[in-house]
Amino acid sequence: MIFDEPIFKPGGDRFIEMELGDEMSFELNFLVHSVSGLIRESRTKGIVEIVPELASIMISYDCEAIAYADVVTEMSALFHAVGPLDGLELDSRMFYLPVYYFDPWTRACYEDYCEKIAKKEWGPEILVRSNGLSGLEQLAQVHSGTDYWVAALGFYPGLVSLMPLDPRCRLTAPKYNPPRTWTYKGTIGVGGALCSIYPDQTPGGYQMIARTPVPIWDPAQRLPAFKESLALFRPGDRVRFVPATREEYDYVERKVEAGVYLHNVAEYQRFSIRNYQAWLATIDASDRF
Amino acid sequence: MLEIVKPGLETSIQDYPGRIGFWNQGFPPSGPMDSWSFRLANLLVGNAAGAPGLEAQYMGPTIKLQGDSVIAVTGADMKPTLDGEPMAIWQSVAVKAGQTLVLGPARLGARGYLAVAGGIDAPQWLGSASTFHKASVGGLDGHASQAGQLLPVRAAQGTPGRRVKAGRQPAIAADRKWLVEAVPGPNDDWIDAAGHERFLATEWKLEARSDRTGYRLEGPDWTFTEKATDKPPENGSDASNIVDQGYPLGAINLCGQKPIILVHDGPSMGGFICPYTVPSAAFWKLGQSKPNDHYRFKSISVDEAQALARTLDEICSDDSIE
Repeated sequence: MIFDEPIFKPGGDRFIEMELGDEMSFELNFLVHSVSGLIRESRTKGIVEIVPELASIMISYDCEAIAYADVVTEMSALFHAVGPLDGLELDSRMFYLPVYYFDPWTRACYEDYCEKIAKKEWGPEILVRSNGLSGLEQLAQVHSGTDYWVAALGFYPGLVSLMPLDPRCRLTAPKYNPPRTWTYKGTIGVGGALCSIYPDQTPGGYQMIARTPVPIWDPAQRLPAFKESLALFRPGDRVRFVPATREEYDYVERKVEAGVYLHNVAEYQRFSIRNYQAWLATIDASDRF
Repeated sequence: MLEIVKPGLETSIQDYPGRIGFWNQGFPPSGPMDSWSFRLANLLVGNAAGAPGLEAQYMGPTIKLQGDSVIAVTGADMKPTLDGEPMAIWQSVAVKAGQTLVLGPARLGARGYLAVAGGIDAPQWLGSASTFHKASVGGLDGHASQAGQLLPVRAAQGTPGRRVKAGRQPAIAADRKWLVEAVPGPNDDWIDAAGHERFLATEWKLEARSDRTGYRLEGPDWTFTEKATDKPPENGSDASNIVDQGYPLGAINLCGQKPIILVHDGPSMGGFICPYTVPSAAFWKLGQSKPNDHYRFKSISVDEAQALARTLDEICSDDSIE
């Protein structure tokens, strides 16, 4: 549920957890980012960092500048200033990412896991089976058939949690247990009801179904998209996965390696909860693509 | 310049308070695990308390000094020597070009700190020189120091013979038993009364698999309230699962039944509850403990934790140097 009043809990002497609900939903996350935006704009003295997550906002503060009780009062007031959910709008950039489904690299990573850690079913097959799909062709159609909402960043620098906005494209998958010790950079994974892109070679637990040659974070800030920030995405952006052939994958990879790749992003769009909910009412969520 | 002859186990450039302002992109603050010892080392050599210096974990480095300077070693007792002669710690010492400083294994505590007058001249990356090895950023090249590496030092004068006043340095536990403060929350209401009692009554053992990311604790199982067992399914199937939330620095993160204290290079978020948080004034105790050390936790309020932080900031000032 989405709470009528946020719940505030301390995290030691410098952090406050502001919980806006206890579910995982797009609407709740939209509220999280609307409130976070107001907190940022308020420039409340003593607020140091604002970390919006799926259902909550973690805030760090300097207790010499603002007391715990005053953070609670100020943040409550900002929560109420946001207004009703169906009137909310946020700027939302749209990124198009070429992805190569069922690629040889994530397959090799899966096989390495089977050999060294534990035998398990191949991720795409788990997704097909547990989501009632006809096969890999439909999995790629369903997975690439929706805009994804950048719900949160974190855990590892640049890592994103993505929520599908079209209910016809919801997929769920169990996570690797135990987790993988490594995952290729650019792997697209599904875990629980979320999708993610691995920003770098890191451990991981999501079922791997595809790979993109497009970097989503770059500490060296080589490509133009990283000029302002090391992380490509901001919360509230959207992502669309565009199925690519091996040849297209290699073409993009060469451009990335040459330092001339231009990220494909549309910056003119604004997301309205009212319009989204009106559209939702017109579709049958049980219809798969 | 400092020439790293032997790097020790993990010797890294850190500054204080570290990389602040990028937690929302997943960047932890990094910085020294024991900022009390770190700040005093800097003050001894006349630097700003947060200037870039070296943190050496468990086994110290061997360093050849390339220029005349003033240095100070604090924190864990690594029995430092200068050209083979014992060197005093917790005070500033004049050194000559060509001398060799050897920091050995930590006899008392876990992390030694080396400050040099002027500070190490490492590039600022997202506002900090602190090394964050997991993502290969900060320091000189994103990694702990390597043999043969040259660390540039900013030109500055220091005064030798300055000492830390009596009673102003951290009391590192010689018996390797620590009383660590912990503030209930953010998810204390997921643990039942028996669980809280057990947490506070237990002597927890620090496991070997602990590093600048997290400190794993060995002890009894936890018990939960209905909040953990009767929740919407998207929270996850385990009692300790919650819809992904931000993690406070110092959080005692419960991963299944395994408590892990999230420290300076830890994750910014995740899907496990944090029943308690170690406050900033107690981080130095974590920084100076080694695997197999024991922790007892003492529950304190937010106000008490903030008062402790204020006291520690007062101690980490020139008033503590004579």
